[in-house]
Amino acid sequence: MRTGKHFNRRHVLAAGLGFGAGAAVMRSARAAAPPEARVGYFVETKPTMIAKSLGWFADAMNTKIAWSEMGSGAEINTGIAAGGLDFGLAIGSSPVAAGIAQGLGYQLIGMVDNIGPAEEMTVRASANIARPADFIGKKVGTPFGSTSHFRLMGFLAVNHLSQGEVTVLDMSPEQIVAAWKRGDIDAAYVWSPAKAEILADGGKVYETYKELDAAGYVIADLIVVRTAFARRYPDAVAGFLSAYGKALNLYVTDPDKAAAIIGKAAGVSAAVAKANLAEYDFVSLKDQLSADWLGPPGSPGKFAEVLHGTASFLVQQKSIRAAPPLAVFEKAINTTYLAKAVG
Amino acid sequence: MRAERPAKAERFWPITLASVAILFALWAGVSVLGLVNPLFLPGPGLLFSSFIDLLFNGYKGYSLPAHIGVSLMRVALGFGSGAIVGTLIGLGMGAMPLFDAFAAPFVEFLRPLPQLAYLVLLIVWFGIGETSKIVLLFLTALPVAAIAARDGVRNVPRERIQAARALGASPGQIFRHVIFFSALPEIFVGARLAIGIVYATLIAAEIIAGSDGIGWLVFDAGRFLRSDYVFVGVLLIGLMGLGLDFGLRTLERRVVHWAGK
Repeated sequence: MRTGKHFNRRHVLAAGLGFGAGAAVMRSARAAAPPEARVGYFVETKPTMIAKSLGWFADAMNTKIAWSEMGSGAEINTGIAAGGLDFGLAIGSSPVAAGIAQGLGYQLIGMVDNIGPAEEMTVRASANIARPADFIGKKVGTPFGSTSHFRLMGFLAVNHLSQGEVTVLDMSPEQIVAAWKRGDIDAAYVWSPAKAEILADGGKVYETYKELDAAGYVIADLIVVRTAFARRYPDAVAGFLSAYGKALNLYVTDPDKAAAIIGKAAGVSAAVAKANLAEYDFVSLKDQLSADWLGPPGSPGKFAEVLHGTASFLVQQKSIRAAPPLAVFEKAINTTYLAKAVG
Repeated sequence: MRAERPAKAERFWPITLASVAILFALWAGVSVLGLVNPLFLPGPGLLFSSFIDLLFNGYKGYSLPAHIGVSLMRVALGFGSGAIVGTLIGLGMGAMPLFDAFAAPFVEFLRPLPQLAYLVLLIVWFGIGETSKIVLLFLTALPVAAIAARDGVRNVPRERIQAARALGASPGQIFRHVIFFSALPEIFVGARLAIGIVYATLIAAEIIAGSDGIGWLVFDAGRFLRSDYVFVGVLLIGLMGLGLDFGLRTLERRVVHWAGK
């Protein structure tokens, strides 16, 4: 009570000013470095693992990182929608197209790789599959909702095969290996290590990617960030990308050293890591800014069309309800951070 | 006890109705006012149109009745075989202590085991077709039914058996006419428990190389946050579960109408 008497208007004003100034200082400090960044990622043989295991991401962002291993891109979408993740690292283009179409609050800020032949159809050599028509009556396994699934659906569409003619089964990569060894499936559309394992066990590559890339079924692994996080901590987001750029640079200049670090982080030998790495087309940050991919800031590149096409296809597949116009995908690509990271 | 239950249920039905109505009103209100992103909570209108869409256009290659039918078939085969074999084992365990000692470790081990833990093993052993799915449901139902039947036999009042023996019944007759029928109410309770668990395991069974079934539908729709389909699927699964339980309860009332009297 006594203190209340002494607490006059001037005190209140002073306290208010002090508090306001303190809050402003805190805000500007927090704008530079977030208290924590939550990243959803996959354990895989990619240069991202160099930056992760050597702590480059955390250094460049000047914060600590909470890493969560994810099972699929869909899980990253759910995590960001729920506000539990800030970054999705190397999330596939089909979940990203779905996420943008559904209005999830995230932006596409960079790429990790153009998948190209790294995800490809593998057929059992003894099944005599040489032409698209040979797939009729066969069972093909693929993880549903993945970029591989999207390509496989594209393969069926391009070759006018229906899902009644070709049985497409939803399997995780390890289930594909198990079913392959039992002889339950004749083909699979998947990535390594599952792909490498079945290739070594009587499989052979049935090339589809060139035809499908030309037909618009391009698939890529991307980097997304929660929009609210990016607005608040733009420097940290640019730092995240520059850390990846540094890792990619190490891979380009010293692939053996990079493969050794990546192999250790992913739990495979350096030789296996090197072979897996060679399958991917890791687009340099500078090339990502070209009109062929994401485009320079303010002028979205061709990849917006890929995302739009992917989303429209997912609508036909009933995976998402509706696809917004191209402009929405163009708006979701934000390369200002990338331009800053390239410098 | 039994005579009172329906009367109570009848007296309180307005409360049940009110609780459903309140939830529905809240849901409709929240979505009409646009308080929640329809991605997180689709409104009644969207849900209805999605249901109609599923009904007429099917989902990823199969019609809605086909998805429901194939799921019911799996539940029926898995539960049916598991409950029958489990009950037989349980009856044996209850009647013969030697057999109990022989079988108990397996049944007791299997019962609390999470099905997802051995999912990949089932694929390796039984492939990706219907067999592995039904075996999974069979293994889920079996221990529940076995333990219910064993306890049912153990709980048969001694005097009932002694009375039958005093009247000159042979051991076989005692088992068939006294023990079995005395244990039947507990066997039914076990069956209702088992179908609940089997039903809950359905999604795990259908994510083995799935492309059909209502459990797979919900799992697949969830992958792309198609919450409208997820909600429709969950409502259907819930209603089907109520229907299955109602069917078993009706059967129970017919077969063991003496229970509790």
